[in-house]
Amino acid sequence: MASSAGSSVSELCARLYDACLKNFPPDHLFYQQDLLGLGIVPKNDLALLLQCTQSLVDQKLFRLLQGKNDRLAWKIISREDAEKLQNLSPDESLVYNVIHSTGRSGIWVRAIGTRTNLHKSILDRCLKSLEGKNYIKSVHNVKFPSRKMYMLAGLAPSEDVTGGAWFTDGVLDENFINSVAGFIEWKVSQKSWYEVPAVQQHRNNKRLKTADGNGITNHYDTDQQQPPPKEYIPFPAGYQGYPTIAELTAAVNASGITPVRLGEESITQLLEMLCYDNKLVALNNGEVYRSVKTPEQVKSQQARKPPGDDSGIDDRLVRNGMTEAPCGHCPVFKLCAPGGAVSPESCEYFDPWLEKALGF
Amino acid sequence: MIQHHLIYHYTSYDEGITYYEPNPQAAYYLVRSGKILEFVQDRLGKYAATVMSTIMFLGHAQISHLETLSELRHGPRELNGIDDDIGGEKSEGRVNGHNGEETAEQPALLHPTLRALASHGYLIRVRDAQFQSYADNALDAERAIKSRPDVKQMKGKRLEETVLDGTLTMLREKLDGDLTRGFLHNGVPRGANKRLGNGPADKSARVDFDMGDENKEDEWSDDETGDTTPMESGMVVRVNYEKMDVALRNRRFLDLAEMHSSSATVQVYECLLRRIEYQTKQCRDIVEIPREGEEGEQYSVAIALSAVAEEVDPQLDLAGSIGPMEVLPPVSRRGKRLLDEDGVNGTSHQDSDAPSRTYEIDQHLSLLSQPPYNLTSKRVVSGLITWTVEFRHLARKLRHLELERIIEARYGDVALRVIRVLHAKGKLDEKRLQEISLLPFKDLRQVLASMQSGGFVDLQEVPRDAQRQPSRTIYLWFYDPDRIRNSILEDTYKAMSRCLQRLRFERGRLKEFLEKTERSDVKGNEERYLSPAELTLLGQWRSKEALLLDEISRLDEMVAVMRDY
Repeated sequence: MASSAGSSVSELCARLYDACLKNFPPDHLFYQQDLLGLGIVPKNDLALLLQCTQSLVDQKLFRLLQGKNDRLAWKIISREDAEKLQNLSPDESLVYNVIHSTGRSGIWVRAIGTRTNLHKSILDRCLKSLEGKNYIKSVHNVKFPSRKMYMLAGLAPSEDVTGGAWFTDGVLDENFINSVAGFIEWKVSQKSWYEVPAVQQHRNNKRLKTADGNGITNHYDTDQQQPPPKEYIPFPAGYQGYPTIAELTAAVNASGITPVRLGEESITQLLEMLCYDNKLVALNNGEVYRSVKTPEQVKSQQARKPPGDDSGIDDRLVRNGMTEAPCGHCPVFKLCAPGGAVSPESCEYFDPWLEKALGF
Repeated sequence: MIQHHLIYHYTSYDEGITYYEPNPQAAYYLVRSGKILEFVQDRLGKYAATVMSTIMFLGHAQISHLETLSELRHGPRELNGIDDDIGGEKSEGRVNGHNGEETAEQPALLHPTLRALASHGYLIRVRDAQFQSYADNALDAERAIKSRPDVKQMKGKRLEETVLDGTLTMLREKLDGDLTRGFLHNGVPRGANKRLGNGPADKSARVDFDMGDENKEDEWSDDETGDTTPMESGMVVRVNYEKMDVALRNRRFLDLAEMHSSSATVQVYECLLRRIEYQTKQCRDIVEIPREGEEGEQYSVAIALSAVAEEVDPQLDLAGSIGPMEVLPPVSRRGKRLLDEDGVNGTSHQDSDAPSRTYEIDQHLSLLSQPPYNLTSKRVVSGLITWTVEFRHLARKLRHLELERIIEARYGDVALRVIRVLHAKGKLDEKRLQEISLLPFKDLRQVLASMQSGGFVDLQEVPRDAQRQPSRTIYLWFYDPDRIRNSILEDTYKAMSRCLQRLRFERGRLKEFLEKTERSDVKGNEERYLSPAELTLLGQWRSKEALLLDEISRLDEMVAVMRDY
């Protein structure tokens, strides 16, 4: 009797599991009604259903969860995963379930300890064996670089954990950011200035111009080859052609400077940074962007960058009365007083400054 | 000192004792006098600048007294001393004014010039109340109001309100020395209109302007003689520094526009600003600079588009400096150039023929209204397009720009980015700050620490529990522009005084030599009495002095931005 009941239960279980697999998406959260609604358990026998589900949970084919309003709920686990889980020791499966529950955000080792109530040495052993079986992996969280976090091996860490596209192994990838930023600025600047066609100056030798205007170096007539400095003028207000975030994202991804595909959020982040750098200006509430500098200026600025970084500061808009005067960057400005140890009379910065400015 | 408005004095009726109080503001304005003279010269010519400098030197002056002064008698032609050294202090301007003293008498010129200065608002009538400090005046007015019989019967809140209102009106009446009223027609000062029409007002043209000064001066006095009599000779006038601040502030706005706009746009903007300047009396309605974020918006008078259009030089090429509205199909740059050019020609023709000039000016002004600076803003009042300038916003922008320049110069562009993030977002903890600024932790911490020690950013601790443990505390970085502004302002004052002290010291070093050059027989005949070595020394000294004074005026520009605009 007992055995027949047991066999019928296991048979029911198998049917139930298959029905669930067939009729619902793998992520579906099953409540009691869902399972009864499949019509597999005869006469809506609740006790029998409970038996079935319990046995499925024991076989790791179902995962028991708490749904809304504290109701019991289940999720199905694929057979391969169930096989994996069946081979685990109870402690290990406990740990696995905890890690599984945190999904893509990962969980801190100490949090696993508090949730499972396992002793630290046991926990360490479990983690080690799980990691050895390649079921879980340790991840690096940018927010808490010192914490050891785990998540399931098959998952990709979420943006919160990695810090977004700009982080490589939890560290901000400066070179990558700079190269993408430079590219974007150049791209935006091309679209936000109107290039005055050189027609006015070269109306008569138009033909010639078209011949060598395509940028390929002509070895003869070097005079012609030197193009007059391009003139850029702004577009009128309300101009619609400024690049949008989507366009820029596509351009960056198409350019091949990024190894990974960058999302629009990442590009938005970068665009905002460029705005804070006074390089771009957001228009229409950040929908489109306009560059402050013309393409020519951007190009020359980027070309100059490698040789000396501090040379770039001088011709920026950093000059005003205070930064010019020796007092503006005097390290002992606070101590300076007439008649004091540091005084305007004994100041050692004024003379070099005067000499430098006047050139004698 | 009273003559120069350097001290206030007040004699109370009850005790008969006179109290004195310094007027630091007036004392400070002496530094700015060079800049003001330069501006007046730019705007109204050399002779006006001389008149201005004379009035400045005297503190205030009666018109009849000005008539008797010899240096104002000669025409603008002979007057060549003053323009060389205008950047310097007032006393220098004066000295140079004496240098060029000649005898050619042109007293007729004085009155039109004065009138022009007054109608621009650069001069005001001196009133008794101006010699008393603002507080004394307020007290006086309050007392007067309270003693009025109808006020005496009032009580409580109503009394307070009436007294407050009455005091303000009375003060306004008493302190008011506005001379522009009689001279403005259609919001434009007399004599101003004509000058503007004379040519593009850019720098190169301004030189011709000065050359041909005589003609224009005549033209202009012809204009005046028709309907006006000379200014009353009993009137006492002084320089209206508040108005000068307005004019100088507009000049800063122009500089701001110049950084990112084409010259045509800037000229259109200049015309708008000039129109606005005529109707703006002071930079702010209130004495103190309001705290950031608590300042409302203060719009200038709205200027109708048509008025701006009148003002703009008709020769100015407006169409050439704005791109087409439609994007051209991307040109492949290879051989297709011809097509492209045709397209462009077509559009530009349309631009110059079809839309009216007014429309083009509107386009330029719209361009200025774009972020980041929002230099103008458009208003449509009953179908009429008008343009205004939002002063508080722009003054704030100017201030931030100065602060940002200092920060960038001291801590580099990384620091600038951090500051701008903090300024836009308020208080942030390190993590968020990193996410937004996209800077590695190491750099970020370094730059934050150095700025904290410099006093530019600060840290706020928000404990999460009562124990205030560091580990359970949130640390927020913030940037308070008001506080930074004040400290920078103090630093700027200090730097100015250091420059002046250094100048005195440098002068002390060369004392004997300089005394020799200032001897009455040597002066003016340097070539004859000094050896070549001494001449070079003198040249060096002069440029050194000029440099230091120039630096002071540059610092003054900052003070103006931080304090006066």
